[in-house]
Amino acid sequence: MDPSPIYLDHAATTPLAPGVAAAMAPFLAEAFGNPSSRHPLGVRAARALEEARGCVARILGTAPAGIVFTAGGTEANNLAVQGLARARRRDGRHVVVGPTEHPSVRQAAAALAEEGFEVETARLGADGGLDLDGFASLLRPDTVLVAQMLVNNEFGTVYPIARLARIVRARAPRAALHVDAVQGPGKLEVSLAGLGADSLAIAAHKLHGPKGAGALALAPGARPRPLLFGGGQEHGLRSGTENVAGCVGLARALAIADERLAATRAALAGFRTILAGIVAEIPGARLLAPGGELSPAIVALVLPPPPAEVWLHHLEARGVLASAGSACHAKTHEISPAFRALGFGEAEARGMVRFSFSRTTAEAEVRAAGERLREVARELGGARR
Amino acid sequence: MSAAGVPDAPEMVLARYGELWLKGKNRADFEKILIQNVVRAARPYSPVTVDREQGQLAIVPERRVADVARALEDVFGFSSLSPAWGAAKHPDAIAAVAPAVVARALEAAPADRPIPFRVETRRSDKSFPMLSTELDRHVADRVLEKHGARLRVDLSHPELTLGISVRSWRAYLFAERRPGLGGLPVGTLGPVLCLLSGGIDSPVAAWLAMKRGCRVSFVSFHSPPYLGDASKEKVRRLVAALARFQGPGVLHVVPFTAVQERIRDGAPEAYRTVLYRRAMHRIAGRLAEREGALALVTGECLGQVASQTLENLTCIGAAATLPVLRPVLSFDKQETIALARRIGTYEISILPAPDCCTVFQPVHPVIRGQRARCERFEAGLELEPLLAAAVEGVERIEAE
Repeated sequence: MDPSPIYLDHAATTPLAPGVAAAMAPFLAEAFGNPSSRHPLGVRAARALEEARGCVARILGTAPAGIVFTAGGTEANNLAVQGLARARRRDGRHVVVGPTEHPSVRQAAAALAEEGFEVETARLGADGGLDLDGFASLLRPDTVLVAQMLVNNEFGTVYPIARLARIVRARAPRAALHVDAVQGPGKLEVSLAGLGADSLAIAAHKLHGPKGAGALALAPGARPRPLLFGGGQEHGLRSGTENVAGCVGLARALAIADERLAATRAALAGFRTILAGIVAEIPGARLLAPGGELSPAIVALVLPPPPAEVWLHHLEARGVLASAGSACHAKTHEISPAFRALGFGEAEARGMVRFSFSRTTAEAEVRAAGERLREVARELGGARR
Repeated sequence: MSAAGVPDAPEMVLARYGELWLKGKNRADFEKILIQNVVRAARPYSPVTVDREQGQLAIVPERRVADVARALEDVFGFSSLSPAWGAAKHPDAIAAVAPAVVARALEAAPADRPIPFRVETRRSDKSFPMLSTELDRHVADRVLEKHGARLRVDLSHPELTLGISVRSWRAYLFAERRPGLGGLPVGTLGPVLCLLSGGIDSPVAAWLAMKRGCRVSFVSFHSPPYLGDASKEKVRRLVAALARFQGPGVLHVVPFTAVQERIRDGAPEAYRTVLYRRAMHRIAGRLAEREGALALVTGECLGQVASQTLENLTCIGAAATLPVLRPVLSFDKQETIALARRIGTYEISILPAPDCCTVFQPVHPVIRGQRARCERFEAGLELEPLLAAAVEGVERIEAE
């Protein structure tokens, strides 16, 4: 493999930014204190932690007391889905999850179903976007939790959360609205106040931060039942000695992503068009653009047979790294519900390839990847004939 | 874009303040300070341009309007706030945007009955070609064409009021009015110095002083090595938490060990707490004068603990050279806690870190202290050089 591949799988994970690594370094070395200790080493760690909390709170549009640091997006989604539903158990047992949720939301909801909650799944509309009227019809006075992702990690659809939030308030006034925003920061403005949601999950490693660090942002008044019990850290919502370096890294990564948001959006804006030009030349290939607004950072294609796996290996051999749908499902070989919700069958699902970008992606890389894709198409097309 | 036809995020925020009682220079100062406070509150999210007309500020952020609107809920001096959408200053342009703003409000309204509705125009631009009532009708017609099935006109008891503010360069439409924080803009009244212990009461007292327009700086007493950095950090965090309402705050940390040791060694145990607090008031008074503060603020409450009987408060207050404001004097504990939760200081106040009043704490503190006895005990202590040294040794911390 090429020593420096063209990495176009940023929706799976991103490289650690140098500024983030530098911010974290002291807390992996001399500043190793436990934030709960009252001596100077502990106080230094506690202060770094609170500064990180303040920074994350500002950018995500809530108060510092509304930030719970977690070990990543999966934990943040679990804490929100299970914790907020359980905290509202007395108000009802009805839960609605979005049509294309990440397994960490779907499986957390499945765990609720085992406890006696009634879990329903909303559907996509004919255009591949969210069917808001259908969503509204599922909501009831005893609905206690609604979970809907902000950006679809497979196709890049940006769902209309602010509108959904108003509908939830009107139809299910006791429900908390949780938003898995893992693919949002750095590419979209992501704020609890702006979305009108009750909670929002993010993960550091999707925005050039470290793996194993994430956060759940909570609006005032939203207080989940904890999943982890112990020393009462994180306002009692997530016990366990804090991952200080990780939290500092998350805050720094989020701050950089926020500072560069406008520039990043401008830089990524043309990438979809570049790939569209290539796809148009490949017979049987097409670009997926479900729903209304799309994230500039994710472009999904359906390629003709052979399966995407083969295309990806040919691309790899040419130094281009992308993925077949969401990496989370790559191991199970199951068609993702998102794809099924779009009305695609197994054959098309097998042909899906996702390119995903970040602020470090250069236009030249996207053009080069497009060229490689064209070469692979020629080669595989010849084999088919 | 939302399907309703206006961008989902509002364009700006209209913020109202009561103005009837404001006249002349007072009013100009009030508005100038209020605008400064708005710019400061918005700064973490976006630069803003602010324009004032008729007891309203038009606040236009470059980005993150919803976050700016939320931050404005922490600014003292506003009676109400409305996120708003803009339209060109022409009756038809306004009427074209109106149905979308109403549609957005209807998404959050009950669908099982028609919603009582009206339009209410305010024109600060009197050259506008229509009277307010004419524009009301013109816009209402367009709204009803589109949403007639879900609305019924009710001028006296509307649940949904579409507000229109016609200003000199643009018109704004809104359907939501959020309560403002009330009070007076921080900085319109004199600066004060708050004695901050780390407990629940004093941050609430500081907040109430801010509410009446006072810029608050803070003083805290620290007794190393009896107390550690965690106690100091806790107080710093309280000041930082209150920065939400007034901007960065200054915290003066006074080295208090020598004073406490002298009182421990030279005065009756029962009087220790009262004498500590008299010394604190003396030191705070000198700091206040040095910093230009006009009064002290404490979280003292009447009769809540032994040291807060009227007799003891009198003993303590007698040591102050400046007026002592006690905004939570008459609060029940539950009232203070509820307010502390609301302003975000409660969670910090309950962190386990002792404050300096717990150092050499008497087992049986005096309940009804006598001022004459305090003075007699102090006469033998020669506190003055220690108080002067404490003021000299102050550490100044800015927290936000």
